[in-house]
Amino acid sequence: MAIDKITELQEMKAKISQGGGEKRISKQHALGKFTARERINLLLDESSFQEIDVFVKHRCTDFGMGTVEAPGEGVVTGFGTVDGRLVYVFAQDFTVIGGSLGEMHAEKICKVLDLAMKMGAPLIGMNDSGGARIQEGVDALSGYGKIFYRNAIASGVIPQISVIMGPCAGGAVYSPALTDFIFMVDKTSQMFITGPAVIKTVTGEEVSAEELGGAKAHNSVSGVAHFRAKNETACLAEIRRLLSFLPSNNQEIAPILSTKDASNRIEDKLNTILPDSSRQPYDMLEIIKTIVDDGNFMEVQPYFAKNIITCFARLNGSSIGIIANQPKVLAGCLNINASDKAARFIRTCDAFNIPILTLVDVPGFLPGVKQESGGIIRHGAKMLYAYSEATVPKVTLVVRKGYGGSYDAMCSKDLGADMVFAWPQAEIAVMGPEGAASIIFKKEIANAENPEQTEIDKIQEYKDKFATPYISASRGFVDDVIEPSTTRPMLINVFKMLLSKKETRPSKKHGNCPL
Amino acid sequence: MSNVECPIAGKVLKINIEIGQPVGEDDELFIVEAMKMENQVYGDEGTVKEIKVKIGDRVQEGDVLAIIE
Repeated sequence: MAIDKITELQEMKAKISQGGGEKRISKQHALGKFTARERINLLLDESSFQEIDVFVKHRCTDFGMGTVEAPGEGVVTGFGTVDGRLVYVFAQDFTVIGGSLGEMHAEKICKVLDLAMKMGAPLIGMNDSGGARIQEGVDALSGYGKIFYRNAIASGVIPQISVIMGPCAGGAVYSPALTDFIFMVDKTSQMFITGPAVIKTVTGEEVSAEELGGAKAHNSVSGVAHFRAKNETACLAEIRRLLSFLPSNNQEIAPILSTKDASNRIEDKLNTILPDSSRQPYDMLEIIKTIVDDGNFMEVQPYFAKNIITCFARLNGSSIGIIANQPKVLAGCLNINASDKAARFIRTCDAFNIPILTLVDVPGFLPGVKQESGGIIRHGAKMLYAYSEATVPKVTLVVRKGYGGSYDAMCSKDLGADMVFAWPQAEIAVMGPEGAASIIFKKEIANAENPEQTEIDKIQEYKDKFATPYISASRGFVDDVIEPSTTRPMLINVFKMLLSKKETRPSKKHGNCPL
Repeated sequence: MSNVECPIAGKVLKINIEIGQPVGEDDELFIVEAMKMENQVYGDEGTVKEIKVKIGDRVQEGDVLAIIE
């Protein structure tokens, strides 16, 4: 009798794990997509996945739903490990009534969210769903609401990672939007509030799903997504890599990965890496690659606002977040998109105890009517707010230019940088020499015998005296001017010094961050 | 057919291409002076069909500088 029960259990579990059946699984594979369970097994450490709630069933009887069987309720949930660390996962099963979300499907997801919060472990959600199960009406809406609420409450407590591995449309997009990071896969993932069909009817615009909300659109144009992968296998590997830079929850620090890369490595090439003329661009990524452990760094939003770099890396094994201007793009200046990208990254690092390194080479904010009417004022303010609010160790290195308000915005001493360093070629000033000289020496130039030559002379005079790091250093706004070749050992030493940093903020419910 | 778009408002400083020249994705096609810096402009792979600007022209972000076939 008992053996019969056990056989029955095994058969039931085997059937449920087949999801919507062979035919639908083949269709998924034919599109270059894995099934929900395949994705989970690829993501997690081998054999570490423990699935729960396989027997959950919907209780809808409207519109013929009473006879519709949905194995696993269209979502696979449970827990396992990534590099030995506990994580919770959910993966929507497109083979089961299109992975549509109903009351009990949402309950399954809410359960793993609740467990992740109690245990203080990251949650990874794999979205692949046709959307709300219309037959369940407001129960489906309520299901989404329950998930969004939990995403918001969990925000800043545990890392939440969303992976778009199929359609994610309508209200469904808001769960990923509330999480810390969004991964997308080329050609097989799309996100939008309203799809091409509805857009065509309402506005007449014609656009394909991929063009409107594919991986490229959200990684390069809208800035909604953070990572873009060529296929699912690469995507899941990148998620594992990202997790290695993050702690499991906001009470911990990220794992320390020992390295053979010497902490006292001097790099002579840094002494000559900047071009002779400050009008010439160079690749800031080269500097980052040279100073971090093993040249290894992981860029977040690499295709969006390329004029600023945000990436995770390690210094002597410890995870850090790096924000750096990229002189190769838009002269490395700050603008709306760069401010948004940087501010979000700063706050993510601060929430999860990840120290911040800021590398500065910024000529200013990008001028223009488009920027002004786009609200650069409130977007730029986000950077100032985020840096000021952050209590993690903050180290700034001025590599070359640091002019005006944009210099402040790149974590200046007064925004709470614990340590500010500068290379000898740094130009830290309120304004570029041309602009400054024409204002300060206006009368002198106008009254001179040869105004043109006087202007050139005065510009040079301003440049020699003020476009240097030494005025700032004389005030203590810069803690030291260093030889570029010593950058890596110096930074490692400073971050080590800052390990025990404790800083508090005045008691408040929460600040009013410009949005 | 693709447009080589100006990435930043400024002045055309240098034109590195000629009509009929084959170009690659990593080739520096123009230099636009903006923010007191020399900004490189790149385009898609192909052959230069048309050059729409001359040295000294003031250009806006998004202006078409050249057309590649």
